[in-house]
Amino acid sequence: MGNVLEVKELSKQYTKVLAADKVSFEIGEGEIFALIGPNGAGKTTTIRMISTLLTPTSGDAVIAGHSVVNEPEKVRESITYLPDEAGAYKNMTGIKYLRFMAGLFFSDIDDINNSVERAKNICGLGDRLEDKIGSYSRGMIRKLLLSRAVMTKPKLAILDEPTSGLDVLNAIEIRKMIKKMAVEEGMSFLLSSHNMLEIEFVSDRVGIISKGHLMVTGTSAELKERYQAANLEEVFERVVKENEIH
Amino acid sequence: MKFINLLKKELSELINIQMILSLVLTMGIFMILGNVMKSSIDEAIDSTKNVTINISDRDQTDFTKAIEQALLDINDDPDENTSVKLKYFDTTGDDYAKILEDNDINNIVIIPEGFTKKVEADERPNIISVNRMESAATLSNISDGNSSAISLIRDCISSSIASEYNISEEKYDLLEYPVDVTDNTVIDDKSAEISSGSIMAKISIQNMILPIIVFVLIIFTSQMLMNAIANEKIDKTLETLLSAPVSRLAIIGSKMLAAAIIALINAAVFMFGFSFFVSDSTTEVTETAKTAVEGSISMDEAFRQLGISLSTGDYILVGLQLFFTILICLSASLILGALVDDPKKTQNMLMPIMMLAIVPYMISMLADINTLPTPVKLVVYAIPFTHTFTSIPNLMFGHTTLFIFGLIYQILFFIVCIFFALRIFMTDRIFTISLNFGQKNKYKKKKKGAAASDEE
Repeated sequence: MGNVLEVKELSKQYTKVLAADKVSFEIGEGEIFALIGPNGAGKTTTIRMISTLLTPTSGDAVIAGHSVVNEPEKVRESITYLPDEAGAYKNMTGIKYLRFMAGLFFSDIDDINNSVERAKNICGLGDRLEDKIGSYSRGMIRKLLLSRAVMTKPKLAILDEPTSGLDVLNAIEIRKMIKKMAVEEGMSFLLSSHNMLEIEFVSDRVGIISKGHLMVTGTSAELKERYQAANLEEVFERVVKENEIH
Repeated sequence: MKFINLLKKELSELINIQMILSLVLTMGIFMILGNVMKSSIDEAIDSTKNVTINISDRDQTDFTKAIEQALLDINDDPDENTSVKLKYFDTTGDDYAKILEDNDINNIVIIPEGFTKKVEADERPNIISVNRMESAATLSNISDGNSSAISLIRDCISSSIASEYNISEEKYDLLEYPVDVTDNTVIDDKSAEISSGSIMAKISIQNMILPIIVFVLIIFTSQMLMNAIANEKIDKTLETLLSAPVSRLAIIGSKMLAAAIIALINAAVFMFGFSFFVSDSTTEVTETAKTAVEGSISMDEAFRQLGISLSTGDYILVGLQLFFTILICLSASLILGALVDDPKKTQNMLMPIMMLAIVPYMISMLADINTLPTPVKLVVYAIPFTHTFTSIPNLMFGHTTLFIFGLIYQILFFIVCIFFALRIFMTDRIFTISLNFGQKNKYKKKKKGAAASDEE
């Protein structure tokens, strides 16, 4: 199984803060990798560098053979990014939004139609897709954006807090959908979440980041064994506290 | 294909019910204003042609009655195209407000007692003119009912004095208008037989339209593009858009083009509405002006003789400068829009562009920038939009070097602006840049406070 993403010593220095410090990890094809960490740990900065939105101060990330530093436009053809608290154009209807976004990925009308059809099935918004997004609830917008993120079948879907704003039943449905796409379609996912239960259920491997350092990576089972913890939440607590002492 | 997709999205974001309503409203306002102006001017012109004089003759002599009769005789004079109607009122005292109120009128001319005696004693007699002023609005006071009446009374007294001294009508005319003036206007080395006032009247009507259109274009274009960028940042859609496989140049280009298209539609509506307003409200005035210059050469001929009529090439140059003005607005708005990270800041960010448009707009309307003191002149010329406002006068009066300098300056200004705008959008500055003066101050204060407590 080849790697879809290889992150090599990725660092980002803001004026006063070193937000990410030599972060390295990789994600294989069809693998779900979750990046977890406390607020301000550097998760979003790392994700934004991989999504080509921020330029790394040093290091690189290679996605499907393309470098985020040297070929960001090529990288964008292989990824989709769903930011935390992302919005959509309120004056557009749901269906127009999906069509507009698909039009940014494909020029062929059949590809656009197939993507929109796929998104329609995934989001489950039915007739509400004909309504303006301004009239949607937060959960509905999230479902629309999630379906947008996977409709083009990217090699790597980067989802920051994928289920935020969704109720329990919808969140479960989304987690199942992510797992299914990874297994059946070989799509890789880079997730970020505060919900440890979700991470434990959905991800194949986990990376814990604290103060810009990627402290540890491994499967949930490996990490629980290494830290003699009952669940991922305890692992997270110990890793973060350990880093604070150092 | 992707660019068209982006452009369609940008246009659909900008064209909404509010925008269409505001355009319709703008047209409506100009049409209503044009009609109001036209009816007021018509009324004013009508009041000079059909004069109703409210008169109170407190002297009651044969002479005053003869004046009144002479006023009515105007109706029988085929050379006069004014009709006069007299309304007589008996009044006493000097409480003029009460006199107007009691008689339910807005003006009156009072011939006081002893008027005739003064005329007979070769002294200058006095007439009392009373006018009610109901508001400060220019249009409501455009016609003063008494002015034409008093002018007619003056003529009557003058001709009565003339006949008393056996002065013939021809000689009286000569006394009244002893000199004929032939107006000539010179611009550079060319001259034409026309008054500079007539030239100015025509130029000012023409030149009123362009600055307003330019001003509307600058403000609309800037506001739309700034909102388009700021809304993407505030609504958190920019990250999704910029992570899509579409070139950033296409994203910026589509936003700029959509804002320019809508701004041009707005400018066209303004131009149409304003020209409607100007033609409605100035037709009568222009007609009057034409009558006044009858006998002189035509206005177009005068413009040609003076070399101030614009050629097709001149209009192309003006269009080119307008094009660069829009490009400067668009590139500056890209930078300012990128600095917005809070909805409340969007309006504040428009202020710099608004000021840069208002200052040259006002100055170019009121004064010739070239006559300003050098430091002020340099500051005003440093504002890129100044050169757009002065483009037509510069070409008209042969200041071609100044025009070319302005055009080159605008092109350079645009290159600098677009360079910085692209540096922001092609890199991650679009996500990291912001103006946080307040926060910086807070930070500095905090640092200072911490330093002070450390010293303690």
